[in-house]
Amino acid sequence: MNYIVLSLILLAVGFYSLLSKRSFLKILVSIEIIATAATMNFVLLSSSVNRALGEALLILAFSTDTCVNAIILSLLVIAAKKYGRRDISKLAELEKMKGDEGGG
Amino acid sequence: MNLIHELIVAGIIMSACLAVYLEEAIYSLISLVIMFILTAILYSLSGAVYAALFQLMMGVGALTAFFLLSEELTEKSKVKYVSKRTLLTVAASLLLVIPTILFSAENIDIGVSCGVSLPSALWELRGIDVILHGLVILTVVLGASIVLYERRRGRK
Repeated sequence: MNYIVLSLILLAVGFYSLLSKRSFLKILVSIEIIATAATMNFVLLSSSVNRALGEALLILAFSTDTCVNAIILSLLVIAAKKYGRRDISKLAELEKMKGDEGGG
Repeated sequence: MNLIHELIVAGIIMSACLAVYLEEAIYSLISLVIMFILTAILYSLSGAVYAALFQLMMGVGALTAFFLLSEELTEKSKVKYVSKRTLLTVAASLLLVIPTILFSAENIDIGVSCGVSLPSALWELRGIDVILHGLVILTVVLGASIVLYERRRGRK
């Protein structure tokens, strides 16, 4: 089983979702999928070289992944509370309207 | 053993596709839970038990936050699910599984091996560990200070 292909497929699914879906929750889910695809390589490719080092790097990668998730989650919750929208494209429209009003 | 690996890989890809496709928050998150569990099983089958445990722990933490905030982050969908489209997604994900099975490179042996245990590897990487834990603490501090600042602004 070639795990690089599995990782690439998961990465493709995550990127597709990130670019095509507009819901806040979908953005979070796609970031989770991308993070899983990236961290998967640490364990699965380190099997023949050095398993322990791969596992250690994976554990360290999880901490950054958690940080990234926490920041994105907080940003999205703030945006949802402030604008009352759960659609990222509508948020962009709001910002545009705000800019037009400021300019006019 | 190989068949089990392939089935798990198929399950991971299918659950990832369903997590992306399903509009209802609860179903999407359940698919993500299944993906995390299958990834952990794949890790443990590859011999990386610690990685599997950490994957489960991280998954549980992230998904708890997602479940709690799913109401805030999703709009009420009026779209009724058509089982035909769901089946189409499952079929598409099964198609995506084919390259993983075809490009079979079971034994990627680079030929380099050094007997380092997990504790000693973690000890060797302690510099990165300290930096990353600093990053976690910085994120928490930043988040807390932003929340407190917003509250103070709200009171004024």
